Amino acid sequence: MATGKVRVVHYLNQFFGGLGGEEKADIGPQVIEGVTGPGRAIQNALAERGEVIATAVCGDNYIGEKPEEAAAEIIELIRSYRPDVIIAGPAFEAGRFGVACGAVGKAAQEKLGIPAIAGMYRENPGVELYHKDIYIISTGNTVRVMNEAITGMVSLAMKLAAGERPGKPVEDGYFPRGTVVNELADRTGAERVVSMLLQKLGGESFETEVIQPQFYTISPAPKVEDLASAKVALVTDGGLVPAGNPDGLESSDATKYGKYSIEGIESLDPENYEVRHGGYDTVFIRKNPNRLVPVDIMRELEKKKVIGKLHQYYYATTGVATKIENAKWMGQEIARQLKEDGVSAVILTST
Amino acid sequence: MKLELKVVKISNVRFADKTSVENGVLSIDREELIGLLEKDARLEAVEIELANPGEKTRIIRIVDVIEPRAKLGNSGQEYPGALDRLGTVGRGSTCALRGAAVVLSEYRRSQDRGRAATGIIDMWGPGAEIGPFGSTCNIVVMASPAGETTPDEYRIALKIAGLKAAVYLAEAGAGLTPDEVEVYNIPSLVEFASDMRVLPRVTYVFQVLTLQFKPLEGDPVLYGNNIGAIVPTVLHPNEILDGAITAPYSSTFMDTYGIQNHPIVHELYKEHGKSLNFCGVIISNAPNNAPEYERTATVAANLAKWALGADGAVLTKCGGGAPEMVMARTAQRCEQMGIKTTLALLHMGLDTTEISLKASTIFSDMPEVDAMVSMGTPAGSPAVTLEPAERVIGMSDGSERRGAATQARQIRGAMSQIGDSRLIAVRY
Repeated sequence: MATGKVRVVHYLNQFFGGLGGEEKADIGPQVIEGVTGPGRAIQNALAERGEVIATAVCGDNYIGEKPEEAAAEIIELIRSYRPDVIIAGPAFEAGRFGVACGAVGKAAQEKLGIPAIAGMYRENPGVELYHKDIYIISTGNTVRVMNEAITGMVSLAMKLAAGERPGKPVEDGYFPRGTVVNELADRTGAERVVSMLLQKLGGESFETEVIQPQFYTISPAPKVEDLASAKVALVTDGGLVPAGNPDGLESSDATKYGKYSIEGIESLDPENYEVRHGGYDTVFIRKNPNRLVPVDIMRELEKKKVIGKLHQYYYATTGVATKIENAKWMGQEIARQLKEDGVSAVILTST
Repeated sequence: MKLELKVVKISNVRFADKTSVENGVLSIDREELIGLLEKDARLEAVEIELANPGEKTRIIRIVDVIEPRAKLGNSGQEYPGALDRLGTVGRGSTCALRGAAVVLSEYRRSQDRGRAATGIIDMWGPGAEIGPFGSTCNIVVMASPAGETTPDEYRIALKIAGLKAAVYLAEAGAGLTPDEVEVYNIPSLVEFASDMRVLPRVTYVFQVLTLQFKPLEGDPVLYGNNIGAIVPTVLHPNEILDGAITAPYSSTFMDTYGIQNHPIVHELYKEHGKSLNFCGVIISNAPNNAPEYERTATVAANLAKWALGADGAVLTKCGGGAPEMVMARTAQRCEQMGIKTTLALLHMGLDTTEISLKASTIFSDMPEVDAMVSMGTPAGSPAVTLEPAERVIGMSDGSERRGAATQARQIRGAMSQIGDSRLIAVRY
């Protein structure tokens, strides 16, 4: 960064950019010289440290329909202003605007090599989509907290523009970006767990260091009405792969799955399979892989016409210390392929 | 039950003609110790190597670490059951060579299945800074399986060799005036129940063995045998400190040294009679399936409530996912019966999409379980960059000498399931 003021480009939607309400949500990208709308508060917070040199504005629907293309258009419009940093929003609870801030921020980082800071309420869908890509300051849910939000965004923007390493999420107010770091606490785990118990027993307030995750609720699929005509697939997270592990499936923290043909196979031969899984005792499965992926029994049921047909592929991944985001896309992708292949029922075996 | 731990401090270890301790120097008659360990027909080619802090030495393939301890006078036997003798522990006096550690390094044939021991200790540099055993004077015990000895028999024999070596070395400190005497004294429950009624009674629920993997049959974990088939039971804290329990073979983030110096037992002892009343330790294993872990949780929580009359409980786990469920369910049961709980855990895997500032558990929907301490995660950064070693102790293929970026979890003792580190997992 050259000496002097930090050059800031600000991104807003049609509403905050003063172009109009919902009726203007289809409007394409444009640039306003200098500040507009909430940009004034940004300029105030920057004071002598920086200058909002331009404001990019785009309709929420326009960018919502094709976020990557629209963000690329916006980047081309602001390139000539040579910004040092881009500040997007704050979008508070506005979902489409939040997603747009994320898309524009990410594009600015990638295409201009400058840091991007947005501000959103934690339930804004833009947080889930972009918190790993850009710094998103955690804000309240309405414009009433505008000044507070902008103070946080500007302060982090100044740090990033100066090439400083941001503080912890809690210090700088941003959503964690998907990295887990082991730090040193002031006391050992033993000291902390006993002292927390004493606080709890004494009726004092205490602060847990660990939280329980909020999992998605997944409704079970409806019952298979006609098993005798169903095409049934076998899917496992027990890590069974053909000998030699052709896809290099990991034995923990899996990032992939395998799809393997069982066409014409009556029973899985232990010679032809191996197990990649660090979370259970695999000795029984190595002796008889059918006990994890029950091809032998399924063939019997197929012959007895209890089921219509066994699907010609089985799918396997490794379910141990596997990240939820990976499990989620793998599950979605496997389900999509199974549906495409006309599979109507799945037996999932876990370990 | 009263135990006096007579601590003799060790600052250097060396080979000599006679095994003795003088001015903090532990001298070892190598041939005598090897002869003692080779009496076990399951072992051959026993080797002893020494590593002092500051040397550019790396110890590899570590399966356990043990503090040299020996019982004094007629106050009991060492590791009853494991060392083939009957006896009790937890009372009388025990000599400890503080600052020394017996390190077991595993021999392994390429055809041996099962998990390979991968833990290392560096005696210098960045590796020594993050684990506790870079600053102890280490006596490394290595041995090969003799003849037809099976891998499982070998593992038990190696562990017993380590325990024998630990006793043999500590006996050299037996006649000396100790540098420190630590006193551990808690009477029977009936006595202190009338004595200290005003203080809250606290128990520790200590998971020792995970059943995620088939337990090593005959591993002398509790008084000479493994605990794969036990329901939770109550031990006096002194039994834990004095050798009733050894770490299950090749445990993850727990070793016998840590159990002998159990940080949570120590911490509860420190508060005993002041802010709480330490009413005993409940030990358990961690089953790998729901019906069994419900059974374990029920028995453990009932012992806490109805046998010990606990007002509070501290819980830890010993492995990954299933043990965390067992711990959480036990805590939930305790809370439902009015026992306040806190838990300390190593996160074995973490969801990186989570936007909470705090690291999370693998279990959910247990609102009663509301007080937890993070002890870091093996999956977290940063890695430590080790320097090249001048000497490697342990069965090496040569590659271990190199310096390399290494996950902190590879350093023996750097992570602890029982509260022996200051690590905390933080999201960025």
